[in-house]
Amino acid sequence: MSLWGMQVAIKWINDQGGIKVGDTVYKLDLKYYDDESKKETVQSLVERLATVDKVKFVLAPYSSGLTLAAAPIAEKYGVLMNSHGGASDYIFEQGYYYVVQTLSPASKYQTGFLDMVHKLDPNAKRLALVYEDKEFSRAVHQAAKKYAEELGFEIVYEKTYPAGTSDLSPILNELKATNPDVIIGGGHFADGQLLASQLAELKIDVKAISILVAPALPAFYEALGTNAEGICAPAQWEVGVKYSPDVAKELGFEWYGPTQDEFMKLFKEIAGEDKTPSYHAAEAAAVLSYAKAIEKAQSLDPAKVREAMNDLGFMCVYGMWKIDPETGKQAGHEMVIIQWQGGEKKIVWPTAAANSDPCYPIPSWDEKSAGKICGT
Amino acid sequence: MAFFEQLASNLIYGMLLGGVYGLATMGLSLIFGVLRVVNVGHGAFIMLGAFTAFWMFTLYSIPPIASIVMALVIGLALGYLIFMSVMRRLLDAPELSTLLAMFGIGIFIEELAKFFWGPDYVGYSWNIGGISFPITEIPFTKICAFISSIIIAALLYIWFQRTKLGKAIRAVVEDREGAMVCGVDVNRIYALSFALGIGLTVLSGVLVTLFTPVGINVYMGGDYTLKAFVIAVLGGLGSPWGAFYAGFIFGLLENGSYTLLGLIPGVEPFGLTRFVSFAGLLVILLVKPTGLLGGE
Repeated sequence: MSLWGMQVAIKWINDQGGIKVGDTVYKLDLKYYDDESKKETVQSLVERLATVDKVKFVLAPYSSGLTLAAAPIAEKYGVLMNSHGGASDYIFEQGYYYVVQTLSPASKYQTGFLDMVHKLDPNAKRLALVYEDKEFSRAVHQAAKKYAEELGFEIVYEKTYPAGTSDLSPILNELKATNPDVIIGGGHFADGQLLASQLAELKIDVKAISILVAPALPAFYEALGTNAEGICAPAQWEVGVKYSPDVAKELGFEWYGPTQDEFMKLFKEIAGEDKTPSYHAAEAAAVLSYAKAIEKAQSLDPAKVREAMNDLGFMCVYGMWKIDPETGKQAGHEMVIIQWQGGEKKIVWPTAAANSDPCYPIPSWDEKSAGKICGT
Repeated sequence: MAFFEQLASNLIYGMLLGGVYGLATMGLSLIFGVLRVVNVGHGAFIMLGAFTAFWMFTLYSIPPIASIVMALVIGLALGYLIFMSVMRRLLDAPELSTLLAMFGIGIFIEELAKFFWGPDYVGYSWNIGGISFPITEIPFTKICAFISSIIIAALLYIWFQRTKLGKAIRAVVEDREGAMVCGVDVNRIYALSFALGIGLTVLSGVLVTLFTPVGINVYMGGDYTLKAFVIAVLGGLGSPWGAFYAGFIFGLLENGSYTLLGLIPGVEPFGLTRFVSFAGLLVILLVKPTGLLGGE
């Protein structure tokens, strides 16, 4: 439940004494409704929050579609809305002033991986893109392609495949002939698994692979076994990231909010011992950004708080938080890159978050089927 | 040269895939041919077969190829159960009733499966090597799926031709009243055909995972239902053999057209292959409503 991440941050802030504006100390309170994942409901609920409940700071609904539906309502009533579950860039290109983003936008999903490869091996230049023909993966990979060209990659292959395909061999046979160093692609769960599995079958050896969504889940390794070794995926946040007050200090940023350990502890208290946080860190960061911006603005006026956000930058459990003043898009937060190493999901990028070194170049498919894993 | 190499490897893959498609459609055609029931819940039964292979392999390390028998037994039993509890009562009802009933059963099975197995995408890794050609690599699992599909279709053919029950089924397809007059217990034939159709479909789910061992999910059946309908129509609705051949045609078309469409500058060939398949279906229906390989 999205609620848990928010509740963790609220509890932490209130335990610290609340938010001080002038001589008044405010405690945070959460007012929430179930939007049933329906666009119509989202719109009327945001309206209700703004008019009946007199809420000034809204945490956006989950998913890009719902956030896009809620945005004009927030804008109309001049209440701030912070998106923790909508990665689409499009929302923030509509000129809304009161809508800001905590989640990294789609355009940044594969750029961290490209940065990593570029830093590890400036000679790995031949990049192939194979991705699902859907709005989200298109947005991700179009942006990645542009970014790759800026970094000096040569795009040797780019093709999309339709959703629900059961055989990618037509594309992959073609791709193999272009002899790439690096492959990025994917879209959802099923096709991401299929892509990795068929790269293995066709023995297409490259130095690094990053696939959207699928490898971030344990089911990926369970399905592919050692073939999953070395495959990377972007994630907004992972348990085990190294962001800490010390890292913040080293990089010259201010730290705000609970540490990783405190976050985990509070999360288990609120959600239950058996639950593991994932997207919840972004929700906590959204709440923290409000608290920080209100204190900075010394005001509860959404317009002033929005203005204060323009040059607000801090590090928290989720990583950096800094928006692009113009669009409200998240600009400071970096996607973390996970990589399967020895059957474990390790965080390998950015350096400030990493708990392991990247495995590069990854073992070949033949080596993997002979039992070689990353780190051996 | 690269063009021909790619066309050749795509056609090889298309043929292997086509064999699986063909078998995965035979059950649908058989049920329609005998009972005039359109099984819109087809994909749910394929999903059951896929999970049979997955669980047998994951829990007991049983090679997926051996799960074929298990899946057939599960499918036969399930088909018989559904026939006796639901379909038997609807046989004289309008076709829309049976269609909706199968639709409902399909959703029921998917939701029940989700309740027990969860919504995750799972898969298995049965690595038994493969053959390396200069133009492409073919894993033995895919070859296994293809050969099994041909053997099962051949066995079925012999059974239909040689046994009394097989002949009785064919008689009912041709002329229900005539068969009754000759002393064929039509209701028994219906039950048998329905069970066999579902059995074949669940079995083909195992072959589907041999071809694509990942992305196994409770809702995976939808895409196969769609393709099965195209193939069934292509093969002449109601003819299991037509469906089997049509599976090959569809697989070859799907993968082969990719290379040809790729020659057109500025198009995304993969997205277009589906367009070509369905445009082809429309044309066939307009020109020959009984299907490409169907009789009059």
